[in-house]
Amino acid sequence: MSGENEMTTASSQPNFPGGTPEEREFEMTTDSSQTSFPRGTPEEREFEFRAHVGAMWSGSRLFIAMYTFLLASVCFAYFYLRSSNNAQLWRPHNVTAPLYYGWAIYILLLFTALMALFGQTRFRKGSVNDWQIAGWAGVLSGLVALFLQIFEFTKVPFNPGSSAYASIFIGFACINCLTIFAGTYWLETTLARSLRIRKELGGTNPELSTAFTARSLRANVSAMTYFWGYIALSSTLFLWMFYRF
Amino acid sequence: MSISTEQPNEVVRRSAAPPPKRRAISWTQRPGWMSQHLGTALVGAALGYWLGHWFGNYISSDYSYVANSGQNSIADTLALVMGVVGWLAGIGVLNYPLAKIAGREGKELEDVKDWTRYVRLSSDHKVVGLQYVVSVLLFFFTAGLLAMAIRTELLSPTFHMFSADTYIKIVSEHGTMMMMMASSIVVGPLGNYLVPLMIGSRRMAFPRIEAFSFWLFTAGYLVIFSALPYGGFPTGWTGYAPLANQAGPGMVSYLFGFAIIGVAMAAAGFNIAITIVNYRAPGMTWSRVPAFVWGILATAGLMTLATPSLFVAGLFGILDHTVLTTFYVAEHGGSSYLWENLFWFFGHPEVYIMALPGFGIVAELLPVFARKPLFAFKVVVAGELGVAVLSFFVWQHHIFQSGIDPSMRPLYMLTTELISIPTGFIFLVGMGTLYKAKIRFTVPMLFCFAFFFNFLIGGVSGVFQSDVPVNVTVHGGFFVLSHFHYTILGGLVFAFFGGLYYWLPLMTGLEINKKLSLIQFWTMFVFFNLTFFPMLIIGLLGQPRRVFTYARALTGLNDFASVSAFCLGASFLLFAWTLAYSLVINPKKSPLNPWDSLGLEWQTAQPVPVHNFERIPVIMTDPYHYSEEGAPKLADFGGGSSARESSVPPTDNETVLR
Amino acid sequence: MARETMNEEPRHLRRLFAVWFVSWIIGDVLYWLLLGPHMAPGDMTKSAHWNQFDLNVLFMLCIPVLFGVWIYFAYATFMWNAKRKSCPEPVGGPAAETNSRAQWSWIWITSVTVVLLAVYGTVALVGDNGSGGGEGPSPVWNPPGTVKANTAALAGKATWQPNSDQVLVVQVIGQQWKFTYRYPAFGGFETSQLILPNDTAIVFDVTSLDVIHSFWAYQLSVKADANPGYNNVAYADTEHTGPFQVHCGELCGIWHGSMFNSGSVVSQTDFMTWAKKTEAQTAANTANLPPMAWTYTPDANGASGGLYPDGTVTPYSPSETYGAKQPAS
Repeated sequence: MSGENEMTTASSQPNFPGGTPEEREFEMTTDSSQTSFPRGTPEEREFEFRAHVGAMWSGSRLFIAMYTFLLASVCFAYFYLRSSNNAQLWRPHNVTAPLYYGWAIYILLLFTALMALFGQTRFRKGSVNDWQIAGWAGVLSGLVALFLQIFEFTKVPFNPGSSAYASIFIGFACINCLTIFAGTYWLETTLARSLRIRKELGGTNPELSTAFTARSLRANVSAMTYFWGYIALSSTLFLWMFYRF
Repeated sequence: MSISTEQPNEVVRRSAAPPPKRRAISWTQRPGWMSQHLGTALVGAALGYWLGHWFGNYISSDYSYVANSGQNSIADTLALVMGVVGWLAGIGVLNYPLAKIAGREGKELEDVKDWTRYVRLSSDHKVVGLQYVVSVLLFFFTAGLLAMAIRTELLSPTFHMFSADTYIKIVSEHGTMMMMMASSIVVGPLGNYLVPLMIGSRRMAFPRIEAFSFWLFTAGYLVIFSALPYGGFPTGWTGYAPLANQAGPGMVSYLFGFAIIGVAMAAAGFNIAITIVNYRAPGMTWSRVPAFVWGILATAGLMTLATPSLFVAGLFGILDHTVLTTFYVAEHGGSSYLWENLFWFFGHPEVYIMALPGFGIVAELLPVFARKPLFAFKVVVAGELGVAVLSFFVWQHHIFQSGIDPSMRPLYMLTTELISIPTGFIFLVGMGTLYKAKIRFTVPMLFCFAFFFNFLIGGVSGVFQSDVPVNVTVHGGFFVLSHFHYTILGGLVFAFFGGLYYWLPLMTGLEINKKLSLIQFWTMFVFFNLTFFPMLIIGLLGQPRRVFTYARALTGLNDFASVSAFCLGASFLLFAWTLAYSLVINPKKSPLNPWDSLGLEWQTAQPVPVHNFERIPVIMTDPYHYSEEGAPKLADFGGGSSARESSVPPTDNETVLR
Repeated sequence: MARETMNEEPRHLRRLFAVWFVSWIIGDVLYWLLLGPHMAPGDMTKSAHWNQFDLNVLFMLCIPVLFGVWIYFAYATFMWNAKRKSCPEPVGGPAAETNSRAQWSWIWITSVTVVLLAVYGTVALVGDNGSGGGEGPSPVWNPPGTVKANTAALAGKATWQPNSDQVLVVQVIGQQWKFTYRYPAFGGFETSQLILPNDTAIVFDVTSLDVIHSFWAYQLSVKADANPGYNNVAYADTEHTGPFQVHCGELCGIWHGSMFNSGSVVSQTDFMTWAKKTEAQTAANTANLPPMAWTYTPDANGASGGLYPDGTVTPYSPSETYGAKQPAS
């Protein structure tokens, strides 16, 4: 299980004048002034590290499952109120949230997801800089999407209580802010971590080494990309539900 | 097969390299009071609350519906939200997420050695477990006081201790606090403390998420408590709209408090589930995972997947209060049934979140005191997983008479009846384990027996309610009330107490006074039944829930229940005294593994050292081989040593064995 | 030793079975004779009678279950107690860990019992046309004549005569904090007294003016939630005269506890007398009531139920609700 998400470094064992990343990491994280444990034998460290990588894999899938239940609750509310149509106030006059904003946010999110996916592919192949550029472009577009989603609240052509559609839209938009923020934050933190690993461990492309922190980063990037794919899919569904014109 | 026991290799370093430095400790985690702890959390909460309130008033005090009503739900909501953010910032939860933005891995949470570690953010799951013990008991006693107030009011149908709105405030607060507390009562304290020990791991998968879940849990307690000074809320713990829409500012405390407790539950469940899946020691196949851990895994699964629905329901309720959306108002396009469905879709798995850990504890304790292996282990697991999965398909049995689509009712009657099959498995397992055993009736074992007695009545009364025709008679009355007190208080809380008495010697290294605990058990068991059994009768005789008056003919039964409830309250006070006496006033060191258990958690030192195990054990069999000649050894603890040899009592928490 | 073991094992289970069997037979017989006839909710209506029967069936089924578990645990406490000197040492190992026969028997017996209960409950529910529970605005199981009567009531054409086997429609309106009742067959008068004729099929149309309440007529065995803007239909078929209690069964605010009233089932002629008298007495008031409708809560389209019968739709003006500044007072 750990094999498939750890992007193995093919041939990249470049030059490390200050010690290999693994050595420098060991220096940084071991403190022999403490008692005999702190990390145990090398085999134990490797065992616990593989558990950690496995935890990232299962954790990201479980997180997606949790998020699905969250979004499914919103979908349930939408379809339930639509079918009830109480007081004929589901969606009077076919009122719709601003289409330009909706489409713009959707396209930006799609772009971010594509950047994450593309970046991860390049990362796997060893081109870390490609990943950085794609990733930061994705962060930018994610931030713009978040800003647009928040700004959209001021631009809706209806009052929140004027119809059930209006209410559900406001609820969805709040959760969408949360989703965009979570995804963009996750993307940004992996990019920032990658840059900092270069500083901490030194040498060329230490993100591709077998140091624990580098392997952990790669597992993290893989998990994050999965989540962005999920965001792209769920955004498509919500686009159809709320902006279908 | 075992993990190598060689000493770590010396890493070849460059000759000019300086010796390894001590890890940098952030000022926020340093010992002493100039750091981050409960004090700064309180300060942060106060600052955040004030800021949020000010900001809310700034943006909305001139809205006509705010100015007209004199109530500003926007300010109240923002105050609570910022208060919680301030609380989390104050304790240090936000440090790591903020550090990650700069790419830092964050400083290690320094494990402070003295008592103050219990009022700080800690990455040690054992510290978090003990923090939860205190927090959960605090919740329990607060909500219990409110219960005493309810039973006082119900002593007479005509003489009223409280005004009507105070009474309904008390009822709602009691129910909500108890439900919030009970949803984490086992997973929080015992799950967090024991799961890594039981799976042979040194740590949790996500210690920071675990610590976050605890501090958010306590924030949730404070938020729901804040409902009282806000004027309370009138809806009971079920929060039905549109009464919730009608309610005042206290309602926001309920909605927001429940939402963040939901997040705390999701975080705790997430961490524990991932830990169990990934951090099991080598050799610990799924069939060797202890029954308690299986129970916690099933519970954690429910916690993660059911709480998002509650979050959405709460968010919609808050939106209704603050920006006047109409999710739950039928006259404006919303629907009162929307709340009912969203809430109960969470609400039913929620009550199984409260039942499953009880099963796990009982399945774990019975073999130890029966000196026989756990009977039908696979059935235990099937029961726990079966209940967890089916719990998502039964929620409409809470709303049979509400006007839902009538043709759905037979379906939910069927699914609810079906769920009683895996629920009943714990009885098969219990009875099978006790068959031709040699039972030692220690206090934890007494609690297990009490669990079976209470949960039987609770479970059977549940089957009654699932039958729609009978539901017409019993829904909304004291029969339902008695049912859920029998299952939650009689089942879960009794199992929790049994687990506490059983595991506290491991967690603290001290023994619990036998005489006091025996008296405490018997008073609790007897008075619990004397309180809640009459309520089954009261319910059948037609008394509704949440009322302050009732038919005069029922006065005798209500008085009997009230007096018994006061005695039950006294038994809980005795419990507090038992703990205080045994742990603080007259502490006695507990012998090693006082129950002679084969469980993995008992095979390490007492109290447990910071890193749990000197070497990660290699598991060779399950922990239930009692009374078996030639039973295989539980695990290889490294270096060829047996389990017992390495369990030398340390002189203080940090002494390591070798 | 082996013979002892072989003889021991059947002894336990046989003993347990014998004690259990005798005890639950006695328990069930005692229950049926002593408690059964007096079990909730009585037999004032057909639903009440069958719901009482249902409750009795469940009790008589649960007695063997309860006794079985209690007897077993009591036996274990006595026989297999470590303090008992003659208690033999337990034997662990695979034989103690699983027993296919015991496991499968348990699973089969519990599954069959539970499924049969579900089937029985469904039959009871359908056969009794909803068993007195609220079935929403479009009930699926309707006693004969009820749907027609309900439709007629809405059209203002409800009638009721004694000795005519006609269905009586009663609308139940819940509000904070009382129930009122409208009788469309008698001009639609509204009263806080609930008087019902005997030997009659009754349709209750339950709604609310504000929050969720629940119309719980205990002796009639009727329970239907009252939701604002919804109609919830429940049926009852009266069989005996006598008083009954109505409580609100869903927390509806501060005075939920005092939201109750009594009612009675009287003979058909007595009912007719009362209804005619009340119709006459309240005629002036009835003229001011809105026409019969299933819901009365105002909404953005005016008020459903035709409170504004001229057919104009009130445009929804949200700026009235918020956004507008307060006028200077």
